[in-house]
Amino acid sequence: MTLATRERRLGWGLMAPALAWTLAFFVLPFAAMVALSFAHMDGRSIVRGFDPGNYIRFFTDWTLFKALVNSLEITAVVTVVSLVLAYPLAAIIAFRVPARWQRLALLLAVLPFWTSYVVRSYSWLLVLGQNGVVNKALLWAGVIAEPLALSASRTATVIGFVHFFVMLLTLTIYANLIQLSPNYARAAQDLGAGRIATFWHVILPLTLPGVVTGAFLTFVLCIGDYITPQILGGNTELTLPQLIMLQLGRSGNFPLASALSVVLMAVVTLAYAASARWLRLDRL
Amino acid sequence: MRVLIWAYMAAAYAFIFLPVLVLVVFSFQDGRLPVPPFQGFTLRWYGSVLGNAKLMSALGNSLLVAVVSSSLALILGFLAAHALARVRLPGSVLLRGLLIAPMTVSYLIIALGLLTVFNQTGVRLSLWTAGIGHVVINLPLCFAITYAAMGDQQRSAERAARDLGASDWQVLVHVSAPMLAPALAAAFFLSVTFSWDEFIIAFLLTRFDVTLPVEIWSMLRSGLSPATNAVGALVFLVSTALVVVLELTLFRKAKP
Amino acid sequence: MTRSLTAPLTAIALVMLASPLHAQELNALVWCDHTDPALIAPFEAKFGVKVNLKEYEGTAAGLAILDQSRPGDWDVLVIDAVDVPRAVEGGHLAELPADKLATADFFPELVMAQNNVVDGKTYAVTEKFGYNTIAYDKTKVDPADMADMAALTGGKYDGRIAIYDYYLPVLGLVALGQGVATADLTADTLPTLREPLFALRKASKQVSDVVSAQTALATGEVDIMVGGGEWVTAVLAADNPNLDWTIPAQGGLRWAQSIGVVAGSTQPDLALEFVNYITSPEGQALLATSSCYWGMPANAKAGDVLTPEQKTALRWDEQPEFLARAQLYPIPDAALDTAMQDLWTEMLQQ
Repeated sequence: MTLATRERRLGWGLMAPALAWTLAFFVLPFAAMVALSFAHMDGRSIVRGFDPGNYIRFFTDWTLFKALVNSLEITAVVTVVSLVLAYPLAAIIAFRVPARWQRLALLLAVLPFWTSYVVRSYSWLLVLGQNGVVNKALLWAGVIAEPLALSASRTATVIGFVHFFVMLLTLTIYANLIQLSPNYARAAQDLGAGRIATFWHVILPLTLPGVVTGAFLTFVLCIGDYITPQILGGNTELTLPQLIMLQLGRSGNFPLASALSVVLMAVVTLAYAASARWLRLDRL
Repeated sequence: MRVLIWAYMAAAYAFIFLPVLVLVVFSFQDGRLPVPPFQGFTLRWYGSVLGNAKLMSALGNSLLVAVVSSSLALILGFLAAHALARVRLPGSVLLRGLLIAPMTVSYLIIALGLLTVFNQTGVRLSLWTAGIGHVVINLPLCFAITYAAMGDQQRSAERAARDLGASDWQVLVHVSAPMLAPALAAAFFLSVTFSWDEFIIAFLLTRFDVTLPVEIWSMLRSGLSPATNAVGALVFLVSTALVVVLELTLFRKAKP
Repeated sequence: MTRSLTAPLTAIALVMLASPLHAQELNALVWCDHTDPALIAPFEAKFGVKVNLKEYEGTAAGLAILDQSRPGDWDVLVIDAVDVPRAVEGGHLAELPADKLATADFFPELVMAQNNVVDGKTYAVTEKFGYNTIAYDKTKVDPADMADMAALTGGKYDGRIAIYDYYLPVLGLVALGQGVATADLTADTLPTLREPLFALRKASKQVSDVVSAQTALATGEVDIMVGGGEWVTAVLAADNPNLDWTIPAQGGLRWAQSIGVVAGSTQPDLALEFVNYITSPEGQALLATSSCYWGMPANAKAGDVLTPEQKTALRWDEQPEFLARAQLYPIPDAALDTAMQDLWTEMLQQ
């Protein structure tokens, strides 16, 4: 046996468990789900076959399609708002906070997320309610005369999401900023570039991988989330995951739920393809 | 400008901490509803939470699922990373993509796919089925982190060990793993965190024994109560304590 | 194999071995009111068994779970009383010995033989009931307005209404508002509900499940809840005594849940004991006041166990009038059920 074959055999041996697991519990289930999405319901029983009816229904029935539109709108707003809020925070921590305090600052930013995720959405419900802390404080300060209708709305969902993703994006962007040598900025400024020009032409392009990776994660996690819109949205509209869970939990319609999941998967894949150039998923 | 910067930072942190503060404050509410006005201080909700057998067993289940699934994900991820970093395998780019793929898929889809397969094959839902799902989501993470940490330094150390007659297993366990210890630890704790807080997979793939997030969800469904605040506050305190301890011990040493 | 690998594997093996070594277990597929430990603990203590509970939402989902299970997976099923025949048709319920049930002590209207008995065989017993009508805060809403459903969409209460997120009772209520009895709700009459349902949605602030509805009413987010009843107000009576409910002139809906033994149960005797415990006066009193939601017990003898305050909150003495004015849930076949759910989803997306 040559060294090369031995090596190769060893390689496959080490690879096998992870590969088998991924095939058995990720690829196979996904294939089964795709197959199921082409089945349909006859009364309460699932009829297998190749029936694209679920997909046709999704694209022709506005009620279902609107769930995707809602999800995309919410995700887009959340991603943009989170980025705009997180970038300055990351920059302040990276450039203004003294080096030995930076770790503490990051740790503090992450701390609130160590409570349970379900509970966090729930506490936003308490904060944003008609009698919640925000309204009480604003009323007391005389900013508003009538309580704002914040809870049970898309606004509440977006606030709940932004809260989480500002933290996530601050981390990814910070990790990128801190690797920049201050020489770049200094060089640009020596060459006569203003602060804004330096940021726009030097800093921002250099941090683009971090920004895109963070934005992609935000997109994936946000568009697939059920808890936040379910707890905070007040059922004033449905997102795609809520529609999927409604099909599962109330109708027992597995084929339609599967088809909707395949659509969700397709959307995420498109997002991946769009951002793949800058993504650094293996270097998180 | 300077004032503006610090004001921004203060506002950001206020936003980040607002829900947690409200959560903790109203866990002491002496009344049935955790909303203003604050009616007085009591510890009875903590008492009722600690005395809640279902909640405590859910907590145990969560720990079990998190530790077992993360250990398995770490072992599988480490071995695969080792294979891809050391050996030239045909289609290695494809293999890497396949292993990373679950990371880019919503948890809901992973859960629904597994549910479909379990239903069709008659596998009974339990903590184990939820654990299988958690390995699926954590394996890419463990793989990516260990793979990224494998550098030339390890390669030469491993080669040296092999030249001295160490077997493949011995190299793996006595050379590679210890050298990668910080990355392995980071991957493990990140996995534990994700598994600990994961809801949708645990919700769809468990039957009677559930994990903490699922139990909290059914608590929420059965009514608004400061007890839910108390659970959240307790989880927060315990996790924070854990992070601080890790920060002071493990990761402090690991820093270059 | 090395030590570092053996340790976790041994641990896994030990845990796997350890888990099936429990005492006898009873598996029940239930609604959330059964998960109250105060209700289950006395039964567990008496029979030395462990009761495993799994909640579900909506008959279709419950039946889907049973469809996907193997025989013996489940012992007890709690289901909407009007859906008992559907479960029987699917072969999910086992016959109960009629002579061993407590139905003689029930409120006569709650025996519900037309639902619980199929082809002369008893498959389930009613355990709890109540009303889906209009709940409101009487300090913020004129109670006189609530006597007429038309007031909801009259403009006066716009943005102060929550709709209970369950399509059957709310569509039934909307039907009553249109003068259609729930029993007459068919594929032909369903389209006539569309406009009034969407008008109601327009006037409301949110569509809420049990908890967010309770929260919204208790905290003053909304003042009216369509589809509400004692099950939302009674549990909050101690904290917010201003909450009330009424059956408007057009009528209201009566909900009822039944309990039965699942076909293929490996321990039908124990399952029957559980059914009898739940329908005993003691079990009924605990179920009526359980943590998820309150409701009237089907067994009239529970009145001896409930406290006067609990009976007031449940409005025990007014039951004859309520029972006379309320109708049962609509009972759709599979096609109508799908049509109703689609209409509901469409309403949610408005």
